[in-house]
Amino acid sequence: MAKEFMKGNEAIGEAAVRGGVRFFAGYPITPQSELPEYLSWRLPEVGGCFVQGESEVASINMVYGAAATGVRAMTGSSSPGISLKSEGISYLSAAELPAVIVNMQRGGPGLGSIQPAQQDYLQATKAAGHGGFRMLVFAPYTVQEAVDIVYDAPEYAERDRSPVMILMDGCLGTMMEEVELPPMKELPESPCKPWTVGYDGTKRGGHLITPIYPEAGLEGKNKLAVQRTKRWEENDVRVEEFMVDDAEWVIVAYGMSARVAKQVVLDLREVGFKIGLIRPITLFPFPKKSIANLDYTKVKGLIDIEMSIPALMREDIELQVLGRAPVYEYGRSGGILLDDESTKAAVRKIIEGGEQ
Amino acid sequence: MKFTLIISGSGGQGVMSIGMSLAGSAVEGGMHATFMPLYGPEQRGGSAKCTVIVSDSEIVSPLPKQSDGLIVMNETSFKKFTPELKPGGVLVRNINRTTSALKRTDIEVVDVPADDLAHELGSDKIANIILIGAMLGYSGMLDPAVFMASLEHKFAAKGAEVVELNRKALDKGLELGRAAKKA
Amino acid sequence: MAVEKVYTKPKCLLPLSSGFCPGCLHSLATKLIAEAIDDLGVAEKVINVLPVGCATMNSLYWKLDMVTSAHGRAPAVATGIKRCRPDALVFAYQGDGDLASIGLSEVLMAANRGEHITIFFANNSTYGMTGGQMAPTTLVGQKSTTCIYGRDPDTMGYPLRMCELIKELEAPVYVARFSLNNPANIRKAKAGIKKAMQNQVEGLGFSFVELLTNCPTNWHMSPVKTLEFMEEHTMKYFPCGVFVDKTAKEGE
Repeated sequence: MAKEFMKGNEAIGEAAVRGGVRFFAGYPITPQSELPEYLSWRLPEVGGCFVQGESEVASINMVYGAAATGVRAMTGSSSPGISLKSEGISYLSAAELPAVIVNMQRGGPGLGSIQPAQQDYLQATKAAGHGGFRMLVFAPYTVQEAVDIVYDAPEYAERDRSPVMILMDGCLGTMMEEVELPPMKELPESPCKPWTVGYDGTKRGGHLITPIYPEAGLEGKNKLAVQRTKRWEENDVRVEEFMVDDAEWVIVAYGMSARVAKQVVLDLREVGFKIGLIRPITLFPFPKKSIANLDYTKVKGLIDIEMSIPALMREDIELQVLGRAPVYEYGRSGGILLDDESTKAAVRKIIEGGEQ
Repeated sequence: MKFTLIISGSGGQGVMSIGMSLAGSAVEGGMHATFMPLYGPEQRGGSAKCTVIVSDSEIVSPLPKQSDGLIVMNETSFKKFTPELKPGGVLVRNINRTTSALKRTDIEVVDVPADDLAHELGSDKIANIILIGAMLGYSGMLDPAVFMASLEHKFAAKGAEVVELNRKALDKGLELGRAAKKA
Repeated sequence: MAVEKVYTKPKCLLPLSSGFCPGCLHSLATKLIAEAIDDLGVAEKVINVLPVGCATMNSLYWKLDMVTSAHGRAPAVATGIKRCRPDALVFAYQGDGDLASIGLSEVLMAANRGEHITIFFANNSTYGMTGGQMAPTTLVGQKSTTCIYGRDPDTMGYPLRMCELIKELEAPVYVARFSLNNPANIRKAKAGIKKAMQNQVEGLGFSFVELLTNCPTNWHMSPVKTLEFMEEHTMKYFPCGVFVDKTAKEGE
């Protein structure tokens, strides 16, 4: 298939359409606005619906309503907007409704900056809203990988009847690179499923979708969610291990940071350093085994590289390292991007000087 | 071969559009390319910078700090980004909009009176094409025919005249770039 | 002699006794909506969006497809549902804290977009479920647990008249306020409720019906007293009537 040269935001919009998304509600925020812009004209072309919500809050609740009908629904935003959506994300999880949520992260906290960053790791993986729920969190590192993940995301969401988050950053949203777009998925004529609301031609009304339960029922739901998390950890972990086999030094990085880190690994390998990269593709479930099972008789240290100060993934890394090797971090933050040369120098300094 | 180009200027000078066209044409021509923009918060008049990488192998990181080539369209970007050019790298600057003296001696420089030339050719909008032409002429980072093909495609709807104007601008830039290379 | 059956419980109301407090008009409003749905014969096409507040309990009473929403967000949820299922009849029944305070933006914007949905707004001047706090519709001087000396407009502003706000928008096709304080007014309300649902059957736009109700528990009054209070105070500040009706024009 022919490669196209596309902007990240638009490419994931097209991937969503091809993956069967037929409803999108969103609100303008830099650096993801091209996603609603693209879908505002693209969705009607395929019989779908785009609504520009009056707020982030309204948008996620429109998605909640759409999801209740069985139509594949999606929203996108950037960091401050995701905070506003957190109520709705928690409700989606509680009501067991599938939805795809994209976060094109920017600098934070607060209004932060409009430039790319990776400062929402903890929010995405630990508490994207109240109530202790979890969801699959994917972190693509190229526009192509983002396209492939967004294309499949509605199916994960439907399989688990749960929101799915795609955690990206402003770089991936606004950059352009070549992509191969997947084919349009065939959708059933009716969106109805056993769990949806809306007349399906046979059933009489009386089905309830709800985020509120009697206490015992809620505890039961909480327990089932734990089982689901275990299944995710067994079946859905995705990770790339790059030049890790003989590595004495292991970088851990995701998303755009992992591209810089990979370049650094290649450059430092050329000058004789035994260095590799572990790249989580799912941030939740976190690829624990990749880090836990490193050969700590060889590994001299791990370096967490993120576009975030402090490095937010570090605690998850340390929980797997368990003191068997030192963990270091390097990052830029607040919307200042990592670059290859500075990162290489920082990594070299850590390796040669043991600087923490 | 991998070539990293930074294009910089102020919003409205066509920094982003020319960067996208260049990278897009490289992909159409069978190469690998990335385009990474960096916008200021302003819609118009703020700073604009983009990094274009063109390579015959897959591009790992789109975020190199140093570039092989640099196009500066105004004084601010000249001051800000010239230090990030690799030693031996090529600087194409619009001397109609850069005033201060060049301090570095370890880089190649192509001075282009892009605004004047654009005006002479009949449109103030094509200064960016002339500058790209000079970069392609000097560096050979991409076959100019590949880039011209994408301009033809882009401006086809605007008519043959506009396409021709862009061709002239590109040719003018190429001529200056190639001459500077020989000199 | 055979006795003619002249009254029965609506079919889309489950055969349960209501859990609303004794004397609360929510149960009446719930029944009126159920009757309107039965009259139109559209129960299987209905999707109801439940709000947060006392009216969330309707999940126990209505035999309809239902989706419980977050506080105030029912019109946004209804928007998502209706856009995906234009064949469905989508309505929400919201209280005053839900609709006029935390959800003011959602209802105004859904109304302004002219979403083809029906909103029923139960206005009883208080937050019932959370225990009688001041609502955006609490009357001046009316006491609540967060204004124990009565609502003081100097610091708390004046009660919000939702119909009067919404009638200023271009898109809504039907905006009306009724009171459930006596049988004559209840009959009018029933007709208005049915019309607001009928509008959706006919593919017209946004319909908004406000129902003045009571809260014996939090007003600390007997049910009968609340009806007198409504007549003397509530209905004076919130006048009943049809504010917008574009349906006849479009129907002609």
